Amino acid sequence: MATKPKIAICWLGGCGGCDEAVVDLNEAVLQVADAVEFVLWPVAMDFKYHHVEGMKDKEIALSIINGHVRNCDHEEVARLLRQKSQLILAFGACACFGGTPGLANFTTKEDIFNWVYRDAPTVVNPKGNYPQPKCKVDGKELTLPEFYGQVYALSQIIDVDYYLPGCPPPPDLIASAVNAVLAGKLPPRGSTLAPHKALCDTCERNKTKPPRIALKDIKRIHEVEANPDTCFLAQGILCLGPATRSGCGDVCMKINIPCRGCFGPVEGVKDAGSKFISALASMLDVEDERQVRELVDKLDDLAGYLYRFSAPVSTLVRKRV
Amino acid sequence: MSNFEPKLVCFSCKFGWGYLGDEAELTAQIKNWIPIICSGKVDAAHIVDAFKGGADGVLILGCPEGDCHYQDGNFEARKRVYLLRRVLSSYGIEPERVRIVLSTDPEGKQIPNYVREMSEALRRLGPVKRIRLPSRETAGATAKK
Repeated sequence: MATKPKIAICWLGGCGGCDEAVVDLNEAVLQVADAVEFVLWPVAMDFKYHHVEGMKDKEIALSIINGHVRNCDHEEVARLLRQKSQLILAFGACACFGGTPGLANFTTKEDIFNWVYRDAPTVVNPKGNYPQPKCKVDGKELTLPEFYGQVYALSQIIDVDYYLPGCPPPPDLIASAVNAVLAGKLPPRGSTLAPHKALCDTCERNKTKPPRIALKDIKRIHEVEANPDTCFLAQGILCLGPATRSGCGDVCMKINIPCRGCFGPVEGVKDAGSKFISALASMLDVEDERQVRELVDKLDDLAGYLYRFSAPVSTLVRKRV
Repeated sequence: MSNFEPKLVCFSCKFGWGYLGDEAELTAQIKNWIPIICSGKVDAAHIVDAFKGGADGVLILGCPEGDCHYQDGNFEARKRVYLLRRVLSSYGIEPERVRIVLSTDPEGKQIPNYVREMSEALRRLGPVKRIRLPSRETAGATAKK
């Protein structure tokens, strides 16, 4: 038992989907469990953080961390695992890029609190209470983790050794990442453990793409019945495939849903959204700026669409107020 | 704020702007002037990077519509700017901080005027607020803001 590498799996601001993806390895997870010693996995096993605190520095071979960082509790756990681990794997879109919770970077902490505790139609809060990091109840002090001013990706808080994107990451890439760690056959630190090319390179629908896409209209997937075999962009449906890393197994394409960008930018690109702007602009088959306006202004939340999973790691990071 | 000097990055197409002018003289007059071959070369990522690098505004000078040496690079740039301006406003960056002018001035004498005019507008807007990410050691203290 003592010779087995120790592994921690932990969630910060995550939905649990990434932990579920690990369980979805099915029988393979049992083989992994035989080869390693789990020391922390809050979703599945009953270890406590103080067990980890009692370990020596770098005693954990690999910590697989999913979820974004939004409060001081997330940050404390991330720092603890960094201190105790040889390797940190940012697992899933939230840990790698901030994920969908990162869309909150297009609003402010104050607006979020006002909506959730005051303005939403379902709120009943006659005393106007807002959560505080510290409050006194019956003479006792109660504490809550402090909510930060923005969403952070894991690498903005601690050093990250490897990245495995996806919402959630697919089983084949999880298995190969874990096996690479166990076999000690890892690429250079800082690598993303997924293919380098854009999704369009692997998409089955790519062969139906015309030489030049010329959009007279932009549609969103819920507005039309999409042809299940044809390139979404050729049908005028926004698809982030050209600006998104491949490796997901085209799972959305297979259920007739265009790419939303959960694998993040392709290798060497920092800001996927601005790259897609350039691609999309070239596809608009319009004569003048008035027509551009008519096409583009139909999209309520262009920034949210382009940075659905990656606003916190985008070049401009968050909304300025 | 009165002594705020806005940082403006000006891209101009060499086919339409300043190719008969004295480049050294123009360079001395215009800070952050980047003559390029075709305004269509300016990627949305270049503009975003300019803001990251401390710019308060970006001015693109392209050739007159229908008169691009490369067919329609200038119009491609105009479409890109329209899309990008919408995205910038979601980041709290005023759309008017990116401007594109499609015209021509071989002598380039108008370039300093366009730069001055836009700099005045930027002066009224004030600087773009910088975002500081936490350092590894002090994340908590910075992050709370």
